[in-house]
Amino acid sequence: MISVLETPIILRVIGSALLCLGAFAALVSAIGFHRFKNFYLRLHAATIGSIWGSVYPLVGSAILAITVEELGVYRWFVAGASIVAAFIVLILAPAGSHALARGVHKAKVARVKPCIADKLDPELCG
Amino acid sequence: MKTVEVVVLIILILALALLITVGFEHIMPSTAVRPPAEFYLYATYNPYKLREYTVMSPEAVTAIVWDFRGLDTLFETSVFYLALIAGLALTRRLLSERAEKPGHGLSLIVKTVTRITAPMIIVVGASIALHGHLTPGGGFQGGSVIAVLPMVIIVVFSVSFLIMRGFTTSKMIIMRSLGLFGIGLTAIALFLVSLIQGTHAYVFQNMIKPDAQTSMPIYIAGALISGTLWFFNLFEMFAVAAGFSIAFIVLMLARTLQVEER
Repeated sequence: MISVLETPIILRVIGSALLCLGAFAALVSAIGFHRFKNFYLRLHAATIGSIWGSVYPLVGSAILAITVEELGVYRWFVAGASIVAAFIVLILAPAGSHALARGVHKAKVARVKPCIADKLDPELCG
Repeated sequence: MKTVEVVVLIILILALALLITVGFEHIMPSTAVRPPAEFYLYATYNPYKLREYTVMSPEAVTAIVWDFRGLDTLFETSVFYLALIAGLALTRRLLSERAEKPGHGLSLIVKTVTRITAPMIIVVGASIALHGHLTPGGGFQGGSVIAVLPMVIIVVFSVSFLIMRGFTTSKMIIMRSLGLFGIGLTAIALFLVSLIQGTHAYVFQNMIKPDAQTSMPIYIAGALISGTLWFFNLFEMFAVAAGFSIAFIVLMLARTLQVEER
C-alpha cells in the first residue's frame, strides 16, 4: 500500500496546479477590474482576486510545503500557517466586500448601471 | 493629452529602472554593523562572556527598548497615558455613556464573521506581546493588535453595544492604570527586594550588574522570560490595549453625538 506522503509527486502537481489557478484568478480579476462598468461589478472582480487569488495559492503552498522533506518538522508549521491564513481570508474577504457593497448601496453612493433589476432600491437602477 | 501621459509614464519607468541599475550599490545598505549595534548584538544574549551586561533575550530590539534604554520607554508610555487623560478631560460631561439599546450595526454576515475572528485577534495580539523577548514584537505592538478588536466591534456592532457589554471608559482607565502600575512595580521590583535583603540594586535593573548581584528570574518553569522584559511586555500590552480602546470609544461617541445633533 502506498501512502500519500510517499508519492509527493502527486501532491506537488496538485499544489502547483492550485498556485497556477491562483495566478489565473489574479489575471481574471485584473481584467475584470479594468473592464467592468460599475462599482458593484468591479468589487466582484476585486473579490475574485482576493479570494480565489489568495485562498487557492495558500492551500497550494501548504500542500507543496508538506512534500518538502528537507524542512523536517517545520513543514507542518508552514502548512498549518498557510491553511489557517487561507481559512481567515476565506471568511474575512467575502464579509468585507459584502459590508462594502451593502454600505455603498444603502448610502446610495454608487448607481447600478447598466441595470436590469434592483429589488433592494429601484431608485438606484439605471 | 493621452500621448503626453503615456510618454511621462514611460520616462518615469525608465528613470526608475536606471536609478535601480546604476544606484544599486548605493541603495543597498551595507552589511557591516556599526560599533554601537555591534555591542548591543554582542551583549543582548551573552551568558558566557558578558554575564554582567547581558539582558538574556535573543531579541535585540526588545532588549534595547525595555532594558538598555528602559527609562525612555517608561516615559513614552506615560506620555501616551497623559495624552489619553487630556483627551478624556477635554470631553468630560460632553459624552454620556448611557447603556441604551444597541444600534443596528452591519448585517448578520459581518457580525457572525466578527464573532469568529474576535478570539483570533486577541490570540495574535497576546502572542506578539508575550513572545516579545523572543521574536519581533512587544507589548506596544501586541496591545495595538488587541485594540483592533474594540474598533472592529464599534464599526460592526455599535458603540452602545460595547458599552452595554461593560467596556466603559472608566473600566478601561482602571485597566490602563493597573497596567501602568504593573510596569512601575516591575521597574522597582529588584530595588524593593534588595532593600529588604539589605543589599543594593538599581531601579530598572534586570540582570546582575558588577556591583549589584540581585537578578530577575531568567527562566520560569523552563521557559526563557528574560527577567523584566516579559513582565514589561505583559503589562504594556494591557495598558496599550485599554488606552487605544478609550481613544476609539471617545472618538466614536463624539461621532454618534454629531450624527444625533444633525
